[in-house]
Amino acid sequence: MKDNSEGRKLVDQMDLKFEARDVQVFYGDNHAIKDVNVDILDNTVTAFIGPSGCGKTTFLRALNRMNDTIPSCRVEGDIKLDGEDINHPSVDPVQLRAKVGMVFQKPNPFPKSIYDNIAYGPRIHGLAKNKAELDDIVEQSLRRGALWDEVKDRLQESGTGLSGGQQQRLCIARAVATEPEVLLMDEPCSALDPIATAQVEELIDELKQNFSVVIVTHSMQQAARVSQKTAFFHLGNLVEYGDTDHIFTNPQDPRTESYITGRIG
Amino acid sequence: MSPLWLLIIILVLAVLGFMFGRTRALASVDDHRKLHSRPNYYGANVAMLAFVPAILLLGVWLVVQPIVVNSMVSHIIPETSYEDAGALNLIMSDVQRVADGLDTAIEQGALTANEARTLGADSTDIRDLLAGVGVALGSNVEPEVLTAAQRYRSLSSTGAWFMTGVILLISLAGFFYAYRQTSGALRARNRVETGILWLLIAAATVAILTTIGIVLSLFFNTVEFFRLYPAREFFTLLEWAPSFSGRGGASKLGIIPLLWGTFYISLVALLVAVPIGLFSAVYLSEYASKRVRSYAKPLLEVLAGIPTIVYGLFALLTVGPILMTVFGDDGLGWMGGGRAVMTAGVTMGVMLIPFVSSLSDDIINAVPQAMRDGSYGLGATQSETVRKVILPAALPGIVGAILLAASRAIGETMIVVLGAGAAARLSLNPFEAMTTVTAKIVSQLTGDSDFASPEALVAFALGMTLFVVTLGLNVLALYIVRKYREQYE
Amino acid sequence: MTDATQPTARSKTSLYATDARTKRRNAAEKRFRVYGIVAIATGLVFLVVLLASIVWNGIPAFTQTFVTIQVELPEEKLDKSGERDLEVMKKVSTFGYAPLIDNALAATLEANGIDSPFSKNKDLRKIMSASAAAQVRDAVLANPEIVGTTQEFRLLTSSRVDGYLKGRVTRDSIARDKNLDAEHLDIVDQLRDLGVVVKTFNWDFILGADASESRPESAGLGVSMIGSFFMMLVVLALSLPIGVAASIYLEEFATQNRFTDLVEVNISNLAAVPSIVFGILGLAVFIQFAHLPSSAPLVGGLVLTLMTLPTIIISTRASLKAVPPSIREAALGVGASKMQTVFHHVLPLAMPGILTGTIIGLAQALGETAPLLLIGMVGFIASDAPDTFVDGFLSPNSAMPAQIYEWAKRADPAYYERAWGGIIILLVFLMAMNILAIMLRRRFERRW
Repeated sequence: MKDNSEGRKLVDQMDLKFEARDVQVFYGDNHAIKDVNVDILDNTVTAFIGPSGCGKTTFLRALNRMNDTIPSCRVEGDIKLDGEDINHPSVDPVQLRAKVGMVFQKPNPFPKSIYDNIAYGPRIHGLAKNKAELDDIVEQSLRRGALWDEVKDRLQESGTGLSGGQQQRLCIARAVATEPEVLLMDEPCSALDPIATAQVEELIDELKQNFSVVIVTHSMQQAARVSQKTAFFHLGNLVEYGDTDHIFTNPQDPRTESYITGRIG
Repeated sequence: MSPLWLLIIILVLAVLGFMFGRTRALASVDDHRKLHSRPNYYGANVAMLAFVPAILLLGVWLVVQPIVVNSMVSHIIPETSYEDAGALNLIMSDVQRVADGLDTAIEQGALTANEARTLGADSTDIRDLLAGVGVALGSNVEPEVLTAAQRYRSLSSTGAWFMTGVILLISLAGFFYAYRQTSGALRARNRVETGILWLLIAAATVAILTTIGIVLSLFFNTVEFFRLYPAREFFTLLEWAPSFSGRGGASKLGIIPLLWGTFYISLVALLVAVPIGLFSAVYLSEYASKRVRSYAKPLLEVLAGIPTIVYGLFALLTVGPILMTVFGDDGLGWMGGGRAVMTAGVTMGVMLIPFVSSLSDDIINAVPQAMRDGSYGLGATQSETVRKVILPAALPGIVGAILLAASRAIGETMIVVLGAGAAARLSLNPFEAMTTVTAKIVSQLTGDSDFASPEALVAFALGMTLFVVTLGLNVLALYIVRKYREQYE
Repeated sequence: MTDATQPTARSKTSLYATDARTKRRNAAEKRFRVYGIVAIATGLVFLVVLLASIVWNGIPAFTQTFVTIQVELPEEKLDKSGERDLEVMKKVSTFGYAPLIDNALAATLEANGIDSPFSKNKDLRKIMSASAAAQVRDAVLANPEIVGTTQEFRLLTSSRVDGYLKGRVTRDSIARDKNLDAEHLDIVDQLRDLGVVVKTFNWDFILGADASESRPESAGLGVSMIGSFFMMLVVLALSLPIGVAASIYLEEFATQNRFTDLVEVNISNLAAVPSIVFGILGLAVFIQFAHLPSSAPLVGGLVLTLMTLPTIIISTRASLKAVPPSIREAALGVGASKMQTVFHHVLPLAMPGILTGTIIGLAQALGETAPLLLIGMVGFIASDAPDTFVDGFLSPNSAMPAQIYEWAKRADPAYYERAWGGIIILLVFLMAMNILAIMLRRRFERRW
């Protein structure tokens, strides 16, 4: 276990990345997310925990406007990234998603080569001026994803030929290739075996040095292991948000305590 | 006895067998619940054994007897009167015609059975006699033909008597065998179900038989054609010009101009169908709202349900004149007449739009949503996702769909018969009339040419080529899809 | 382990400002959408043009121009002996009847005060159809008592006159036509004003028989409809049982072995074989080898059965697959044999889907033309409907699509109109069958 007292001090001094106030999300008439207020800090791993169906993934997807792809979904309230309202009419979600990357539950590498998987984001956003620069970005991303040593000799092989853990690390590397400021991860280890899970968790710890990471997880142990801040969701409400230690040792809200002790969820 | 009556008799035997079998089964036990199977199965068992072996034999006999009789009779014909197998076949068909004619004459009362048997070519004028009962013969009846015809009739009638006897015997034998076995302990249901299973297998075999039939009928006639016309010329000659005089001395029968027409028209058709079909599929599956999709998709499917004769007429009477107004003598002057590669190609393209569109739609929908999410998550627009992720993933399937569409276009007949004209030409100008393999198959087999001539037999060679090409394309399409398809979990 | 390098310095861009590249990408997105809409619109435009073409060109075929005149039937010409002996009266051919009609026409003109520029009554004949004389003759032979009286007849005008009333024939186009002169048209105009010449709905187009090349006005689709009907009977009677039986075997009983693979490969290949190859098969096997009567609906039906079989097998298999395994297991659980399970439980549940697939297969078969051409069901003018039910299968006939093709091939443009009209009738049948299939599916579809 890390010594979190030092960590906590560092955390409190971090910049505010996302500021969410009074956020509501509707699916048609269904009020899925109610009155959520939460802060996501830079260089911090924030965990969203809660029982199934409590809305953590929905809220996560609201942070990069992935819910736009669902026609019946409606978002109200304020979500600000670096002070800018992401739901403002003049904001193009395409640009937002270059800044806020996402890794999904089930690894979903494109049926392309490893190189092309990583290069996809930089290519469409025009981040590299020439092939040499693109090569650099690919290498750096793969290093950041803890995958470079394993695949550096076979970059032209198909991304779908890797093992489960490698595929997820590929997806993480792909997500960081666009130099996002925040990395959203939706239960990234739930489809992985324990060894791969450990590799990814180690990776997350290193990623926080350069990015702000938000991770939705079903496993409280995982939240306790990787995150500095934790938000507990229940039935669409954000019940409690605070330092990870605090939530797990001394929760304020009785619902939080019920969940942590296993009485609900 | 005619086969029809025979059939009726064994059917009656089967019905009787059913009734008797059932009764006997019920009678053999004191309580009907002690029977192994339900009573009807016992009846069915007897009926089955009375009917099935007999009818199978009947079928085989009806097919085999004419062949055997034919070969026996053809041995009678002196070898001097014919030069080759083709002429022998002609003589044999004359023999059959005379034999049938004599039968008709007896039926209509112009001859008695005895007279027919003792007829000699010198005694009466056979040709006039038969003409009198409505049978037309091409020439006077030669003595050997008459003898052969009489032998034919006698062999056929002996065969018919034998057939009747044997089949009735088999039917009765089956009847009694099953009847004797009928008792409460007999597992009648199992027997009957085995019989039904074989019936099902036979039905499934029809598919194989059909393919065999196609292959054989193409193969033998093609071989016959190549005996009369050099295969090398067929495959390499650049000209198609059948002559209408007898034995094909001056006919030029090269397939290349026809293949060219076929491929050119198919190419034009694909150039129309693939862009429209593919973009429609992409829009309908990725962009369109449910409402738009529910209207547009069925409407496009209507194009698929329209028979090709309608498209053929459309090509001839609507598309042709429209193209003529733009490209014809009053317009750009490129087009001579309404029938052209463009006409047939555009019309065929319209026909293929729903084909390409619905196949592509299925393939695009099969790409999992996770791919799309991954792409959107990286900040790609919808069109970038389609162009760079979805279509490349769907590519093998789309290529397969295009190959299948090409195969359909190549095999299409009515549109080209009506819309592309009959001139076999090797030209690059899409505004000229150019005919295809399929159109020529129709014209060579529906003309008045004698069926043994190379001009008619060439149609079988053309059909063989067509069959091989379309089969090859279909197999290729399957192979590509199978080999390169992404396995989505 | 990763290399935890510092992030490369990237200028902080505001979300509110869309940069140039994103603008270009959005423009490309818009263009892409437009391509999609254009593609769909083009497809729909083709559909509309096609249907409009059919309706616009085909509707006129359902009306025909008739002339109603009083025809005197003098005994001296028709029955010299006066005995009303049919055998004798039959000897008077249509050549004898035609002048009667000419005279009747001339009389009508006179009675209405129309000047005829023709010196001989015979010159008026071009106005009438060649079948008019046959129509009068048939009436007399059916009813010999009318000889010696004057009867009113509604007779077909020639196809040129009909074309004139429909706008197909103009005064310019007949300038070079020897079948009609401008003077005839003048007479027709005047008769039309009087109501003697009328263009009305013509049932004979739907119900009548085909006619010779020179008489498009009396050509009808009726007899070939009967040919199609008998063919469909054969197809239904053969392909449904065989298709269902084969599907049951493949779905329920077959094990994974070479035979099954062979059957499946064959079915999918046959589904893709061009229809004309089936025609060749029919010609070689049914006509040349088995000596079945050529041009007979039975042969056409056999060929179409083989073509429809793959379709029916594929849709039947899908229907059988859709029945959930729990039904089969329940039946086996109470002691039914596999065969009984299939026939008593699975098959009835799959029946709606099977019927739907069969109707659609039949609709496809109804519109097939190419194979019928090869077995001779075209180029044949069946003069009457077949006499008996068995004759319906064996006597030479045509089928609707083949008849349409035949009309399209004929030189007279009046036949084009009939071809379009025939297409309308064919499409009405197809539409009815498809709607029936859809209704069946909606009504009986079960959601498991």
